[in-house]
Amino acid sequence: MTTTQPATTNRIAELNDVFRPSRSLGQEAWSRLIRNKASVVGMIIISFFIILAAFASVIAPENPLKINDGMRFLPPPFYKGSTNTQPDQRFLLGTDSLGRDVLSRVIYGARVSMVVGFIPTAIILMLGTVIGMISGYVGGRLDNVLMRLTDVIYAFPDLLFFIIVMVALRDSFLGRLMNGLILLFAALAIVNWVSVARLVRGQVLSLKQKEFVEAARCIGVKDARIMFRHILPNSLGPLIVSAAFSVPGLIITEAILGYLGIGLRPSTDSTAFFITSWGALMLDGQSAINGQPFLLLAPAICVALVVLAFTFLGDGLRDALDPRMRGTQ
Amino acid sequence: MRKMFALLSLLVLASMVLAACGGAPTDAPAQPDQPAATDAPAVATDAPVVDAGPQTLRVDLNVYPDLIDPQKSSFVNEIATLKMIYMGLTTFNEKLETIPGSAESWTYNDDATQVVFTLKSGLVYSDGSALNAKRFEYAFQRNIDPATAGEYSSITDEILGAPEWRAADTAAEGYDPATFTAALGVKASHADGSDCADYEDTACDTFTLTFSKPAPYFATIAGIWVGYPAKQENIEEGGELWWNSSKFQIGNGPFIMDVVEPFVRQHFVPNPNFAGAGIPTYDLEYRYITDTAVSFEAYKNGELDIIESAAEDLATIEADPNLNAQHLQYAGSCTLLIKFGLEGVYTDPAGNSYDSPFKDKKVREAFAFSFDAVGWAKDVDGGLSLATWTWIPPGFPGYSADSPLSFDPARAQQALADSSYGGPDGLNALGLKLTFGDTPRNRQRSEWLVAKYKEHLGVDIALDPIDSTTFTAITKDPKTFPLLARQGWCADYPDPQNWLSVYWRSDTSFAQRQGYVNLEFDALTAQADVELDPVKRADLYNQAQQLLLADIPSAFGYNNLNHYLVQPWVKGLTPTPQDADWSGSVTPWTITVDAH
Amino acid sequence: MTTYLIRRLFWLIPVLLTVSAVTFIIMRSAPGSPWDTDADRRQVDALTQKSLEAYYGLDKPMWRQFVGYVIGDWNSQTDKFVCGLVCGNLGPSYRQRGRSVQDILFAAPENQTFWQSRFGYSVRLGLSALVFAIFIGIPIGIIAALKQNTITDYIALFFATSGISVPSFVLAIFLIIIFGSWLHWVDIIVDDWTQVKYWLMPTLVLGFGTMAFTARLTRSAMLEVLRQDYIRTARAKGLAERVVVLRHMLKNALIPVITILGPALAGLVTGSFIIETMFSFPGMGRAYVQSIGQRDYSMIMGTTVVYALLVAVANLSVDVIYVFIDPRIRLEE
Repeated sequence: MTTTQPATTNRIAELNDVFRPSRSLGQEAWSRLIRNKASVVGMIIISFFIILAAFASVIAPENPLKINDGMRFLPPPFYKGSTNTQPDQRFLLGTDSLGRDVLSRVIYGARVSMVVGFIPTAIILMLGTVIGMISGYVGGRLDNVLMRLTDVIYAFPDLLFFIIVMVALRDSFLGRLMNGLILLFAALAIVNWVSVARLVRGQVLSLKQKEFVEAARCIGVKDARIMFRHILPNSLGPLIVSAAFSVPGLIITEAILGYLGIGLRPSTDSTAFFITSWGALMLDGQSAINGQPFLLLAPAICVALVVLAFTFLGDGLRDALDPRMRGTQ
Repeated sequence: MRKMFALLSLLVLASMVLAACGGAPTDAPAQPDQPAATDAPAVATDAPVVDAGPQTLRVDLNVYPDLIDPQKSSFVNEIATLKMIYMGLTTFNEKLETIPGSAESWTYNDDATQVVFTLKSGLVYSDGSALNAKRFEYAFQRNIDPATAGEYSSITDEILGAPEWRAADTAAEGYDPATFTAALGVKASHADGSDCADYEDTACDTFTLTFSKPAPYFATIAGIWVGYPAKQENIEEGGELWWNSSKFQIGNGPFIMDVVEPFVRQHFVPNPNFAGAGIPTYDLEYRYITDTAVSFEAYKNGELDIIESAAEDLATIEADPNLNAQHLQYAGSCTLLIKFGLEGVYTDPAGNSYDSPFKDKKVREAFAFSFDAVGWAKDVDGGLSLATWTWIPPGFPGYSADSPLSFDPARAQQALADSSYGGPDGLNALGLKLTFGDTPRNRQRSEWLVAKYKEHLGVDIALDPIDSTTFTAITKDPKTFPLLARQGWCADYPDPQNWLSVYWRSDTSFAQRQGYVNLEFDALTAQADVELDPVKRADLYNQAQQLLLADIPSAFGYNNLNHYLVQPWVKGLTPTPQDADWSGSVTPWTITVDAH
Repeated sequence: MTTYLIRRLFWLIPVLLTVSAVTFIIMRSAPGSPWDTDADRRQVDALTQKSLEAYYGLDKPMWRQFVGYVIGDWNSQTDKFVCGLVCGNLGPSYRQRGRSVQDILFAAPENQTFWQSRFGYSVRLGLSALVFAIFIGIPIGIIAALKQNTITDYIALFFATSGISVPSFVLAIFLIIIFGSWLHWVDIIVDDWTQVKYWLMPTLVLGFGTMAFTARLTRSAMLEVLRQDYIRTARAKGLAERVVVLRHMLKNALIPVITILGPALAGLVTGSFIIETMFSFPGMGRAYVQSIGQRDYSMIMGTTVVYALLVAVANLSVDVIYVFIDPRIRLEE
């Protein structure tokens, strides 16, 4: 009875621990993500804006709805512009056309941008995933019909669809819910689910033939279960990346729609959660560029920062989740 | 790598060139080795290398007109072009009085049911062809003809037979326009009354209009664009699109339109045959820069001579002594009110319908006396409007500053307490709404208004933004007319009749939409309309205006301002309230443009 | 292959029909008529409105109006049969009376060529923006990929990404102020669009986003290719780096870029209206947005159909090009 045998196996086990720690795919991806400096910066920026949005009522220095008579278009205290108006120290970024504090309005505007980024993305993911999976898995005529439907929707120029829908339906019941946010979500979701569906369908088609699916079917696993428990987790990677890139696209779309005057309607109701949006602020600031450029600059910089952050994050996620990079550094 | 970059940048440049090159005129093949037509092609510009010839006045009009047809146009930018090319029977001076235009004089009969215009002798179009009364006969007939379907066709409805023709069913069997023109009170003739031969007949210098009821103000209407003498043969030759070509728009106005570049610019040269007060001494160019920030930059850069200043740039303009000196601000041609819907169907949040609270005069009084018009002009419109408590704007015939209205919050609160609602709580239960067309400017205005009514009256009013075109649509029907809406009136022509009788009399569409009825006012204006003596007439209209104000049909109000930046080398401009398009446009011949 | 193409082309028809139908339904459900003007001025009176509606066939039932728009109908005033969309007639404009939509979009103005029509201008702007995007974006992407994770890569990436984060109208106004007012390098308002220099700014602003996207796409495609075994083989063989890059990498890396060319162009042409407004560019986009507010029904329908056709053809081109370029890919069906 020697003790060397267990000792050797222990040492081999230890070696394994050192050289190949067992981690889940998620943990590995996360550590790769953290190593990407740009992604980390992106995540910090996004968290910052989420906090701004959630705690706007605490963070904002002034009341964003309070109209200050006689204080229109005040420049920020640090800016020597082309006008003679004296800035007021209370308004760190100056005031808008009705004398309301720009900084506070920008902070509150973060709410709409964050929401418009995340919620429609969630809807798009759910809708696109379900349709894509059904289409790819079931195949046949259903697949054909659904793909032709996506062709039709694809053919519609996005922005034009939004404009038509918003202009036509703004005054309807749907358009008045939550200052027009519901209509905006619906329009954004309708147009954008198509690419997600195609993505998922492609994934499903390529995975459908794999052995583990066939094996599952042999055992008698039901189709729906196969779809959701076996195929979906394997296609998560591209889906997450697609989500990360969808958010900034939606934020920019909201800014453009707001600029065109057909986005969220700014509210004067102090009990409303969504008061104004960055797009609406940019529309306000567009013509005031000579006297008070920060009315346009502040929301524009915010939009740019958020979009940049999400893009970095998306890049990082894509690199982190790419299975071919597994084991490499 | 370096070679690749050189190649690539060359390709980028080439592509730009190709892009611009795609627009070279049809004779471009003559210059095969020139990559781009960087010198002006024969058609487009008027900037010659040698600066000989007259100066050009460059005006920015924002939006390119959709349609430039005297009997079909209705928008300011469309009329801006028409005014330069044509002149009607009468025209206006800088005091907006009606003066001879193509006609040298006119006389009414005893009861003003007929007016006879005598044309100036030797009238010609810009191309030298004769202009006689038959041309004006055609113009007025065309305006009334239902086939034209002009947007201002109803403005000549006083003419005998006009409403009947306009209501005729053109698709019916046996419809013959000739029967209607024969019965129409529009007639061109020789001085002795005999018929004119044709458009070349130079003895045809008498034009008679007959009305279905007395209309002593019609000489003013005869001067607006619906009576401009466009040539029938040009219209027929050009077909539906005749108006889009400078070839067919031959007129008798101060200018000749010689270049039309759709959506980019229009160019005019002086008309040596102009029979008005003076021939302009400069070329005119209209540009259509939509974005106000861009046009302001262009103005500062010296690329434009007259632009409309934007409210957002006021502070910048005032801070710069040069710009400030170039900034003209004067009363415009519109009066705007906060209107009270009276006959609409209104429902409260619980779904019960109620009658308009504004039927109670005390409620109207409360809302009218708590409207701080001066504060509005200063804070909301940034100094770009003028507070007013009267209806007709300053500068217009019939203006009077007297008014029983003013800003008096204490009186307003008292009136509300005295009303049938007893105070703000009664009104708040109804769920009042302020409806407006959803533009950023209107949002700011409405937010301010709602906040102020809360402050002075304690009344809660919800914002009701809707699409602008929808707003216009619902204000056309008394059933859907909003409870509270900012709306106003911009005069068609400078006469108190257009301000009072056309707008507020209960049988007119405007008053009907709001649901406003005041029988005493109706009687007064009906009397004033047919009064021939100008002094008595003015007095009657004045009484009518005071009666109207005392009845508080809406909360008054403000006038818009005409606000333009004019370069210092543009001199002799005569501003009038009707300068909705550009400053000095009513009498463009007084302007001189120095070299710069 | 040809049967596939023909089948896809045939599919364009129901696609365009659906697009027209959806646009039609949505637009007509908006209140307001094409002749409602500014609320403070005199409105069209009831009689004239009736004449206008009869002339344009707006008094007919909705289904008949739609069928009439697509196939054709008898004009109640002139009793002549007017062919619809199938004959290329996009309808009469309601605001620009006397002009048809195809005339507004495609006809050349007095003494000028087709390329000065509104459609021509928009397409030219889209093309030059695309060329700019490709010829700046691809080199940036290549350099970034070759120098991955160095400072050059980060700078290039940042530059490219900022291009898609800044809204175009913000970029436009600042460029105008910087290059027009401060530096006086360009005139702010354009005298005539045949001069190349006036195209630079709109092209730059319009193409910036696509340039950024192309750079990123090229970069990731190059990175993919870089990892391939055949590249390692080529290098091991001792080939010069330049030969490796040009002959082996570029061809394969550019596949994804070439496939997006079509949709990118379509996106540029259809998304140019903000640029057109800022620079007062005489293109299609500005007219389109204006017509929506004015309720010019035919203009809206006609322009939407034109845009949809462009986008559909562009999307089709993606699949077709894929087949030609990459022999490994088999078409589905």
